[in-house]
Amino acid sequence: MTINDLNTILPLVVLAGWSVVVLLADLWIPKDRKGWTAALSAVGLVVVLGLTLARGGTVQKAFFGTVLVDGFALYLDIIFLVGGLAGIALAYDYLKRMELERGEYYPLLLIAISGMMLMTYANDLIIVFLALELLSLPLYIMAGFARFNLQSEEAALKYFLLGSFASGLVLYGVALLFGASGHTDLPGLVNTMRAGTGNQALFLFGAALLLVGFSFKTGIVPFHMWMPDVYQGAPSPATAFMSVGAKAAGFAALMRVFVTVFPSLSDDLTPILWALAAITMVVGNVLAISQKNIKRLLAYSSIAQSGYLLMAFVPYANAEVSSDSIAAMLFYLLAYTLTTFGAWAVIIQMEQQERRGLEVADYAGLGKRHPWLGLAMTIFMLSFTGVPLTLGFWGKFYLFSTAVEGGFVGLALIGLLTSVVSAFYYLRVVVVMYMQPGDPPVKQNRWVNLTALLAAAVVVGLAFIPGSVLDLALQAVLQLQ
Amino acid sequence: MSGMQIVFLVAAAITLVSAVLVVTLRRTMSSALLLVLTLLGVSVLFVLLQAQFFAVVQVLIYIGAVATLILFVVMLTRSVMDTSEPQVHKNWWLAALVSLVVFVALVVTLSSWQAFPQVQRAIPADSGENLAALGKALVDPNGFALPFEVASILLVATMIGAVYIASERKGEE
Repeated sequence: MTINDLNTILPLVVLAGWSVVVLLADLWIPKDRKGWTAALSAVGLVVVLGLTLARGGTVQKAFFGTVLVDGFALYLDIIFLVGGLAGIALAYDYLKRMELERGEYYPLLLIAISGMMLMTYANDLIIVFLALELLSLPLYIMAGFARFNLQSEEAALKYFLLGSFASGLVLYGVALLFGASGHTDLPGLVNTMRAGTGNQALFLFGAALLLVGFSFKTGIVPFHMWMPDVYQGAPSPATAFMSVGAKAAGFAALMRVFVTVFPSLSDDLTPILWALAAITMVVGNVLAISQKNIKRLLAYSSIAQSGYLLMAFVPYANAEVSSDSIAAMLFYLLAYTLTTFGAWAVIIQMEQQERRGLEVADYAGLGKRHPWLGLAMTIFMLSFTGVPLTLGFWGKFYLFSTAVEGGFVGLALIGLLTSVVSAFYYLRVVVVMYMQPGDPPVKQNRWVNLTALLAAAVVVGLAFIPGSVLDLALQAVLQLQ
Repeated sequence: MSGMQIVFLVAAAITLVSAVLVVTLRRTMSSALLLVLTLLGVSVLFVLLQAQFFAVVQVLIYIGAVATLILFVVMLTRSVMDTSEPQVHKNWWLAALVSLVVFVALVVTLSSWQAFPQVQRAIPADSGENLAALGKALVDPNGFALPFEVASILLVATMIGAVYIASERKGEE
């Protein structure tokens, strides 16, 4: 093993090693001082973020080409690492309040992030599968972290069963692709596809199975059934982290594999992707309308967001549009990450013991009693809807315009109409906050507050310079392949 | 019909029947024992595919370790696991119907597909050298050293989870 190989994936090695160090150090940290474990993990994440930024986006291969580091990986890694920091900031006070304070939470979070980072590096289907497992298993455990709460146990069990089912499908897909071409590495698969020597039937089946497996992970209709129960049952900080991490990693895998390997299958796959994106947007948004519990509401909203993200894939085989549409998707992913973490930061401060304070009706009066939190929540809801002056607006704007460029006007229209539908339930939260009288109890914590306000500031701030953010995303995409 | 085909049919039939019985029988002990039979059938299939190594691994690990562990768990928790609830969902026939339709559709599509039955390449004969190469590849940085190491981190995460979820139940309840 050469040092160069390790040097290329240094951030990942440091992160995985650090998770074990934190696990060991936690043994000597007294029960009432688990803040130290959180701080240690956060320090590790900051160091890894520094290493990732220092390495930059130059294309490097390692381990015989099974991993590949490029601008695409850099862009997503920054999202994951910042998401990890937000995940720790949200979790610390919540775990203490709910009497769940156990040090294992943080090493598990770090391991999940290493899985997500490995997913962005993956240039081989074996690595894709292992990364998928590495990021999923800690999430199953985090979903069940409130061990003595039946809802949390139910969430963990459902997530685990359906998740392992999805992993099985992905593995089956990988096996079929290997059978079709004799390769598991993406360049090898690309060459076989181009030369047309592989077994086309097996290729199509393999691609379809991978699509189904990743659709489970990212919550695309009709593979979304687990999401509302898991989102509602899991402890809120775990939900926040999984709704960003698992989704972004799933889309990262789809981007790498589909855009590089399967362009020639687009005749068969594009109509399927079109239909999946359309029903995901419609079902997610329509079912969200009747939700009274805010965690369930955000679960359905998250399903709908998957539909918007998947929209960017539909023209994936059209070389002229695909780099624009994938860049639009990376942009949207950033907006989604910031908005989601911000919204969950408000929810976590509102949640009381015994799962009280989670109904939309409980938010009555928040805007008057806690103007800053109310303002932040308003910004997040507007950003989810896609109202101008927020990052979410530009995200949807770029997504819809690339869909139109690719010739999918109908899909863009569905996206636009469902966004109008979504305004109904997002704005209802705002209306309840400002128009109805009430005095909601809020458990303020400076770290959670900081996450909410910072996210709100960035969501508004970046909306004034969307062009430069999109340029970053475009640079990331141009190095893909 | 050659001897190989007869062996295959018998092994496949035993595997499938015992696999169905594993999930339909009421007594967990019988299910666990039938699971052993299923795994044995799979190892016969590996032999027929000339993958002797996998056949041995199948017997050693799945029957020797995993199934034995399951038997132990069943014996230790027998009183907890006995349940009188119905085994099937009330709409099971609907699910069975859908599965059957999908299965028939798949078989029909695949059998009419020209490209499907083509064998891409012959299976290389298994010899000692292949086995040594497999072992070396697992720890070779140009082979599978990275996946191997990632799998070990994965096991650490699994272990943390198992210990966390299972431990201290008595003390805290």
